Amino acid sequence: MKRNSNWLLGIALLAAGLCTAAAASAQVTLEVMNPRGEIPPPKTLGISPRGGALDGKKIVLIDNGKYGASNFLDVLADMIKQKYPAATVVMYPKPAAQTITDLPKWYPTVKQQGDLFVFGVGD
Amino acid sequence: MPGVYFTTTEFLDDAKSAAKDRGMPGIRTLALPADKYYVARGSKEVLQPIADQFFAKMVDDLTRPLTAEEAKPSQAQLLHESANIKVTGKDFMDASVKVNEMFLESRWADGLPIVPPTPELVEAMEAGTTLLPQKVIGQVAPKSGTATVEKIAINSVMAGAKPEYFPVILAAMEGLTDKHYDLTHVMASTGSFTPVVIVDGPIAKELNFNSGIGMLGIGWQANSTVGRAIQLSLLNLGQTWPQVNFMGLTGRLEGYTFYTFSEDTAKSPWEPYNVSQGFQAGGSTVTVSSAGNPQVFGGGAVAPWTAQGVIDQMVATIKTRGVAWPHAQKHIVVLHPDCAVELANKGYTRKSLQEYLYEQTRVPYEKVSGGGAAFGEGSEEALIRASIADGRIRPDRAQIFLDNLKPGGRVPVVQSPDDFHIVVAGGSPGYDLLFTYPGTNWAHQTVKITGATLTTAGK
Repeated sequence: MKRNSNWLLGIALLAAGLCTAAAASAQVTLEVMNPRGEIPPPKTLGISPRGGALDGKKIVLIDNGKYGASNFLDVLADMIKQKYPAATVVMYPKPAAQTITDLPKWYPTVKQQGDLFVFGVGD
Repeated sequence: MPGVYFTTTEFLDDAKSAAKDRGMPGIRTLALPADKYYVARGSKEVLQPIADQFFAKMVDDLTRPLTAEEAKPSQAQLLHESANIKVTGKDFMDASVKVNEMFLESRWADGLPIVPPTPELVEAMEAGTTLLPQKVIGQVAPKSGTATVEKIAINSVMAGAKPEYFPVILAAMEGLTDKHYDLTHVMASTGSFTPVVIVDGPIAKELNFNSGIGMLGIGWQANSTVGRAIQLSLLNLGQTWPQVNFMGLTGRLEGYTFYTFSEDTAKSPWEPYNVSQGFQAGGSTVTVSSAGNPQVFGGGAVAPWTAQGVIDQMVATIKTRGVAWPHAQKHIVVLHPDCAVELANKGYTRKSLQEYLYEQTRVPYEKVSGGGAAFGEGSEEALIRASIADGRIRPDRAQIFLDNLKPGGRVPVVQSPDDFHIVVAGGSPGYDLLFTYPGTNWAHQTVKITGATLTTAGK
């Protein structure tokens, strides 16, 4: 416990020194270290270019598995079919129990399903 | 592939943060009104007005030409936040208060007062380990912040930890950032999961960790500040914040210090937990494990109980939870010493108790299936078969599941008896705790404590 005593003594000396400095200069400056670390930046990518109207496109609706998402996407699917009869809707749910560590294997399969995607509903 | 991402207003900041973290900040996102969507989502009819409101926006986002920034965004720069900060006050207390205010405004603190991390105090903290300050312990999810010894030391000073605790904190951070540990889930999930931190071996007594009455409460500096040091390190190195990218809906019930305690190896009738995990007898370890909030069993000081009754109540509770994700599910069973001794007197070893729990919690096949559907992810059977197919259920355990996924079968809720982690801690009288983790990936790690310079144990 000798080191511990030294540590406590250090705090006391620091406070005492700062207080002494305060008495002398009426101001105290504390230098503190930043608790955050470096974050390696990811390569930043642009989003895919859009190709005009929906007519003739295959639109992939991706249910992320959260409760209610399939209902919302079903409503959107009906609206797409009604308003853009020349478009095709493909329901393509995210595989069950997948997590972010597994998704890189799955993403490429989405592209094989159609031209555009709608993903929801995220929380 | 052009696309649109739907989220809700409460999760918009989280979605933007995640998109930036993954290198695609420009992804087009539409936020449904949270106060309307969540109550409406069970019915297509009730959802229709919300869809009507957003349909045109969705079509626009799918078809509108990109801006120059969307097509070619500026590259993210390395976030390098290592410069010291100088804060001036009229006296020490004033300067200290200003440091606290500045840290909280910067989202570097947790809302309780912190000890200003001066270089002198950080250096004293670093003296608690033989590791060099710039050594990298790991990357902290979700933003993959680099956890060096120095950065963890800064957060440990802030938490009020003593330098002799530092090797325990470093070992815990090593476990949490292990490549096999799904840290992202506990750092971000709406489920408000919480790390359990269990210190084992002689260092626990040397540092005066509490493993008795009040072990999860206040009053023991080791329990409180080791847990808080880990919490602040995760906060600052993973860079999370409530309502931004930590979306735990209730917040963690032990949010400031996590569930941090030590095993009572002196009163345990069995070998120390870490020995059961393959570590050398007499060694010191820390176990970190993501979990939900514990359920309490037994009678404590006010009601009769039996050890077998406690175990049977735990079995019944576990069986009600279904078997959706047995590949990653685990249970931490914390038995107070009297209960553990009674079980030992009945002939249970830790291993035989694990096997008893494994066998008794198996769920009849006829009751398997609907649980997973509550999450909208298909049947439990489909989830299990998917986990077998992709290897998350180990090949040596897969056949047990396959043999039981049929009428008359009894399906395990975990991969093996080893997924019941039995630890002895608590008072006399005491209660017994069950921590359950229903996550989709592994989140449990035991790490040997090494490099201690200020204690006899943990060298």
